Amino acid sequence: MPSTLPDALHHPLLWQGGRRHHRLPTLSTGHERLDQALPGGGWPLGALTELLVARDGVGELSLLLPTLAEVCRQGGWAVFVDPPWTPYPPAMRGHGIDLARVLVVDTRDAKESLWACEQALRGVRGGVVLSWLRGGRHQAGFTHLRRLQLAARSGRKGAFLFRPAEVAGQATPAAMRLHLAADEQDLCLTVLKARGLHNGAQLRLRRPHASTALATGGAEAPGGLAGRRRRANTLERDAAGTTPAGRA
Amino acid sequence: MGMNPTWLALQFPHLALDLLTRGNGRPRDLPLAVSDGDARRPVILDTNPAASRLGIRPGLPVSAALSLAGALQVSARDTAAEHAALDRLAAWSYQYSSAVSVLAPRHTLLLETGGSERLLGDSESLARQLSADLLDLGYHARAGTGPTPEAAQLAARRGLHFASLDALREALRTLPLHALLLDDAQCAALEKMGFRHAREVLRLPRKALARRLGTDAVTYLDRLCGRRPDPQTHWRLPECFRSGMDLPAEIANSQGLLFPLRRLVDELCGVLRACDRGVQSVSVHLRLRRGEERFDLAFQQPGRDEAHIMQLLKERLERFRLPQPAQHVALEAGRFLEFEAGATGLFVDPDDPSSNPLEPLLERLRARLGQESVTGLRGVEDHRPEYSWSRRRLEEPADCQSMPHRPVWLFPRPKRCRIEDYRVLAGPERIESGWWDGRDCRRDYFVVRDREGSTLWAYREYKPRPGWYLHGLFG
Repeated sequence: MPSTLPDALHHPLLWQGGRRHHRLPTLSTGHERLDQALPGGGWPLGALTELLVARDGVGELSLLLPTLAEVCRQGGWAVFVDPPWTPYPPAMRGHGIDLARVLVVDTRDAKESLWACEQALRGVRGGVVLSWLRGGRHQAGFTHLRRLQLAARSGRKGAFLFRPAEVAGQATPAAMRLHLAADEQDLCLTVLKARGLHNGAQLRLRRPHASTALATGGAEAPGGLAGRRRRANTLERDAAGTTPAGRA
Repeated sequence: MGMNPTWLALQFPHLALDLLTRGNGRPRDLPLAVSDGDARRPVILDTNPAASRLGIRPGLPVSAALSLAGALQVSARDTAAEHAALDRLAAWSYQYSSAVSVLAPRHTLLLETGGSERLLGDSESLARQLSADLLDLGYHARAGTGPTPEAAQLAARRGLHFASLDALREALRTLPLHALLLDDAQCAALEKMGFRHAREVLRLPRKALARRLGTDAVTYLDRLCGRRPDPQTHWRLPECFRSGMDLPAEIANSQGLLFPLRRLVDELCGVLRACDRGVQSVSVHLRLRRGEERFDLAFQQPGRDEAHIMQLLKERLERFRLPQPAQHVALEAGRFLEFEAGATGLFVDPDDPSSNPLEPLLERLRARLGQESVTGLRGVEDHRPEYSWSRRRLEEPADCQSMPHRPVWLFPRPKRCRIEDYRVLAGPERIESGWWDGRDCRRDYFVVRDREGSTLWAYREYKPRPGWYLHGLFG
């Protein structure tokens, strides 16, 4: 019975003075090192996560595939709102995603895109929503995002917004904002905002098709984003706290 | 308690006018009147408060009324529309009684309530409830109850409730002659004879009464007092619905349609509850200043929840632009279907995944974005990547082959590229097929990286269009 006082004090919704960050429920990222590094041990659940992508094709969607596969396995829905291209079914299936639990929503303009995203977040309880808001850098202001944040909370969703890196300077109500960029070997995640983490903290995950891949002559499964031996086992704190938003 | 049926009468004193005004949001300053009679010399039949404030009274010739108030809008009554409205209202009131009769000439509905009394409370509070609900639909109704159909009708006109024949007889001692539902000629004849009260008429010898007023009058009085049976023709349930209303003030903004539509939806849902049916689609028909407009709304399951239908309509109207101001709006539901209670999502436990249905979300999205806006994905047996998948309707199976080494994004069509701009990371994967359906092709696929660090899927085609192409992105 979770009725003792110590148990009650650990309830995730209880805010305690003196404790800087109450724990949010999370979804495992499927990457062990990333889970260890992120507050609460995974992607925020019931809150927005913004992924600011320096450039398409760095592995931004692959990063989420293990989470999607797990959500679908548990009977949740994965809703794609305005994906930029076709989520290629054989590849999705190859990453363990049950396509019977995947929905794709297409809209025509920025306003509809925001609306559909909010509906998807509020809709069925649980699951994840992945949204590529239409309308470029002017796609959503703080109030819009605030609505999405509230919707994510009411729907207890994993809520991921893929946004262009140029919005890094805009304030956000999201629980987490990460910048994603890649070099030859690694996908580099830079914390722009996360409860409990220093801004500018970085984590590196090895990219699929890192340059070694050519040497072995075969493509690695993108799901095998393994932490890289040398650097990925720790969160490297950027001492200056600067963000690399303009980079890449 | 005996098995005596109790009758509830609903009389619509302003039906012609209600049909004209119920498309209006709030009581407006617009003076409105309905006319009746000879087309060459029409007279005012009924007016709204704004018109009566201007001195327009029933019976006034229309020409005189217009000279009194230039802004007055006069419409000729539409008897067919009134009868259609009574039919709809009968269907609607079927939710309160399983025996409903329509007395069209008197603009009256008669409900037998003895059977449903226990369920719905006493007849008197039922009458109050019905009047209030009808007012929400835009109809003014007077309600009364009595031990016989005629007693109920008499009661309705005076807002009375007779619990028994004794109570009726008691009341008739004080009621004026005009309380009796005799026709004008009969009343005039009785007045001429010096009668002023109902009780005096009831005391008359029946033979004398029949001689002077006709047997109709005797039959009426016998039925009123329960001395003669008064069988009613029960009205039969409909299998479809259509209701419309004129908009006295044209509506230019699609949001303005919400008010009249709410009334129509309430009416529809009342009828559906009455029939224990649901609908899976409705269509809205608009008559515009020039031309017509129509849109349809489909639901996941047969439903009859006003709030739900209104929510969908609201979302639909948000992206609907009226090309012309609307003058008439109608709601149509083609086919009534079996309705499964519980499928409405009314009593779901939000934390139980099995009662956490996707349908409401799908309906909302489709209502606003269109039927094709929400799809699923599936695989297709074909070696060529562009033919190896398709969108699927959600009720179709989601079978798919598994290819983890393929990119997560596929471009809608391959783009030509210069392979010199890319570095090859992996490959080739030979894909060769399609000769059997005339889409013969041979390609070698490679994983490549561009100078900015994106990983792409490129191929070299040998036939039919030799060259290098980009086909996907390892996002």
